[in-house]
Amino acid sequence: MSQLDPTVELPLAAPPRRAVRGRVRVPGWLALLLRNRKSRLGLAMVLFMVVVALIAPLISVAHPNDFNLLAARQAPSWHHLFGTTDQGSDIFSQVVLGARRSLLLGVLAGVIATGLAAILGITAAYSGGLVDEGVNVLTNVFLTIPPIPLLVVVSGYLKSRGLMTMAVVLALVLWAFEARILRGQALSLSKRDFILAAKASGESTPRIVFGELMPNMISRIAAAFVLVFYIALLTDAGLEFLGLGDMSKTSWGVTLYWAQTNSTVLQGEWWPFFFPGAALAFTVLGLVLLLAGIDEVSNPRLRTERPARRRWMAALVGGRWVARAEASA
Amino acid sequence: MTALAEEPVVERTAAERTLLELRGLAVDYGSVRAVDGVDLAIGEGEVLGLAGESGCGKTTVANAVLQILRPPARIVGGSVLYRGQDLVGKKPEELRRFRWRNVSMVMQSAMNALNPVMRVGDQFVDAMRAHERIDRRRAAVRAGELLELVGIDRRRVRAYPHELSGGMRQRVIIAMALSLNPDLVIMDEPTTALDVVVQREILQQVEALRRDFGFAVLFITHDLSLLLEFADRIAIMYAGELVETAPAERLATGSRHPYTQRLLQSFPPLSGPLERLTGIPGSPPDLRDPPSGCRFHPRCPHCGPERPELYARQTTERPVLREVERGHRVACHLVEEKGA
Amino acid sequence: MSALEVRDLSKRFPIGGALRRSQVHAVEDVSFALRPGTITALVGESGSGKTTVARLLARLYDPTSGSVLFDGDDVSRVRRRRDVLRYRSQVQIIFQDPFGSLNPVKTIRHHVERPLRIHRIVPPDRVEERAHELLRTVGLVPPEEIATKYPHELSGGQRQRVAIARALAVEPKVVLADEPTSMLDVSIRIGILNLMVRLKEERGIAFLYVTHDLASARYVADDILVMYAGQIVERGPIEEVLAEPLHPYTRLLLAAVPDPAKRDAERIEARKGLASAAVDPPEGCRFVSRCPLAIDVCSRVTPALVEARPGQAARCHVTAPAPST
Repeated sequence: MSQLDPTVELPLAAPPRRAVRGRVRVPGWLALLLRNRKSRLGLAMVLFMVVVALIAPLISVAHPNDFNLLAARQAPSWHHLFGTTDQGSDIFSQVVLGARRSLLLGVLAGVIATGLAAILGITAAYSGGLVDEGVNVLTNVFLTIPPIPLLVVVSGYLKSRGLMTMAVVLALVLWAFEARILRGQALSLSKRDFILAAKASGESTPRIVFGELMPNMISRIAAAFVLVFYIALLTDAGLEFLGLGDMSKTSWGVTLYWAQTNSTVLQGEWWPFFFPGAALAFTVLGLVLLLAGIDEVSNPRLRTERPARRRWMAALVGGRWVARAEASA
Repeated sequence: MTALAEEPVVERTAAERTLLELRGLAVDYGSVRAVDGVDLAIGEGEVLGLAGESGCGKTTVANAVLQILRPPARIVGGSVLYRGQDLVGKKPEELRRFRWRNVSMVMQSAMNALNPVMRVGDQFVDAMRAHERIDRRRAAVRAGELLELVGIDRRRVRAYPHELSGGMRQRVIIAMALSLNPDLVIMDEPTTALDVVVQREILQQVEALRRDFGFAVLFITHDLSLLLEFADRIAIMYAGELVETAPAERLATGSRHPYTQRLLQSFPPLSGPLERLTGIPGSPPDLRDPPSGCRFHPRCPHCGPERPELYARQTTERPVLREVERGHRVACHLVEEKGA
Repeated sequence: MSALEVRDLSKRFPIGGALRRSQVHAVEDVSFALRPGTITALVGESGSGKTTVARLLARLYDPTSGSVLFDGDDVSRVRRRRDVLRYRSQVQIIFQDPFGSLNPVKTIRHHVERPLRIHRIVPPDRVEERAHELLRTVGLVPPEEIATKYPHELSGGQRQRVAIARALAVEPKVVLADEPTSMLDVSIRIGILNLMVRLKEERGIAFLYVTHDLASARYVADDILVMYAGQIVERGPIEEVLAEPLHPYTRLLLAAVPDPAKRDAERIEARKGLASAAVDPPEGCRFVSRCPLAIDVCSRVTPALVEARPGQAARCHVTAPAPST
């Protein structure tokens, strides 16, 4: 994925199009995302999860922490759609309510990390000199800190393991990676004539960073956001699974943790693992597809051509010649 | 799409034998007609210049000749006759043998197409072996010979592209195009990215090689002043159509099509009196929705409602290439009216 | 009375590997003056340093040495935002690539209005009106319609006119035009060149027209500066320099330009030589490896720019020798 290669020169953001679907005017970027199959699917999946999270209190039949030993360890049924835990808590409620935490966490971590990465990375790229050096030192420091051990240690020490704290911690771990990438793209953008023209007009640095550079990096910044989102999601669930999260809150990771500690699988009870895991996987898959779609939209070379048959024919006709022609085009 | 009033006159070249002939060539880019009914012929050993501005279709014509159009571009009409044989519809294997050996091409910015991690000599060998059975050692020797031909020390065969200047890389590309002794070399803006002095050196070199080896050249460029010096005949394209063809001297002093005339006037003179020039107002049309009738009419100074009959023809009927003099064809209603 | 004066301007870029020991002498000891109401052509091939000169004057780079005098003050090293802003309100630049010099996600209105707002040329309620006026001045009508468009919706010639409108917004005294027409179609170039001449005549702007095209330089310019490998090798009124060039490089350029008037062009001297001799250049004339007139002293002593005829100077031991004292 081009996300991982900071030196790939991504073309500028697609120009804003006054797209009209039916009679509805849709902003250019949305139209592009909807047109791409992958991002359409990914967006649908993520939106589905968002909706679930929003209506969770309405659809969960019981309080997730209610325990009813009489109904313990029950397989999925109409009464308990996803079955119950060893304590009789309804897994369906845990999953749909847990979605709230996961999504909120992802968004917060995403916003903080991407915000930090964008502001620092882009300003460093444009300003150059000491500012660039300083930011580079900072990113290097954060990059060399191994994330998982750091998280484990920090989670162990923190008194509060609330949502905000986790989001901040995750953001601090993840921002440096994205800052590096955004800096790379901003570096090549900064050399373009329109940035020089803005400078020659007398624009101040903050205005260039926010007003001229960032609008041209929307797809890259969006991609960074989505990336941080799903890594935060997985990391948080992972930490909770290891028992390092706030065990009193409802979340997918916590459900998985309890499933693990109670050795449910050994007893043939697949549902406490499967459903939260599937929810996690579903959300992450949606985000990954969205990411791939954004990538394809912003880098036309990654787009797979629809008429596969035509490409095959052209390849046959041209052989090496076409390869050479393509290489020089 | 306006209809043709009658069949256009087929081109005759001054040369003894016609090497390549395009008859009514039409190329579509998806649903846009990029090249519309082009008739051209190139004789053996002749330099035919194809001039026009961006979007006129000249590069598309070049790609069509070699049948290397990439989807969504495709030939939708007409024929490409090489020594009488139509290349359109030929099998891929036959085309492969035809390319490079009979007709080769120097593409736009070709000097940037060299593989940066391969030595120049190896790329030669690669290209040759793709089209001919030749062993590596002989191919390498030939590569050295070819470099000398274009004025580069044969020891540079071992150089990497980035070690050579832009001008030298372009010479390498030209040498590669000549490696199998083709009858026709198509050059698409071969010197555009180079400065004036290097450009002249390279073109002089090509001239010398042409005299020695006798190949024909289809020289495609937007720089008409270059063609006036180097070409035998010149064809002018506008918005996908051919509007005028004539021998170079004739075009320089006696062009008849308003577009050609205005185009020639867009080159400020280096010597002689200096007058205010006007260029051509407006810009080349969007081929997705070209003007009806004569495609140049919105920008033509001779098109106006003062002469209603002519105006009606100019705006509804596509002008057809007609011979106004031996070897000089023009597609223009006004010229027709004045009598060929 | 010059609008902008340049004295001994030099710019070196470090190149090479990690140790960066080599230097490209992109611009070396360049001196000239731009007078109001004139167009000065800066001609040279790629790598000659002409674009670097333009960008130095636009303060996009800092010079390694030398000075840039505006209104008598050396502006080459000012740092305070207020002073830089004042300079930028007087000296503007137009770039070569019409598409690249406009922000693809911003409207034309944004491009033309920003300078008006930054420099407070007119009060905020008059900005839109002034923007429309500017678009009209450069021939983009109707301005209300053009202002709402994005760069990709305009043609190359129109985009370049927008760039000119943006430059004019601050009412500059000096406009640096860096190859403004080389990426435009031939038939559109004349329109842009005519616009430049008109602006020079109507507003008394001093233009620096950077180009590799001698013919268009002759068409618009009053004076010419010829650059080779970072140095100015000839300068003077354009008609005189083109009619009787002193420096061998100028002669080479003139012979190389395609001129429809001469069908049977003489072969030019195809002497092999490095196109740009500006990397760690040794003492001596930089053109020596390609020069048909080179004599012994040329490889040892760097020639100085000497006024061989009134108003016309060249940097050549042979054609413009320093007066022996």
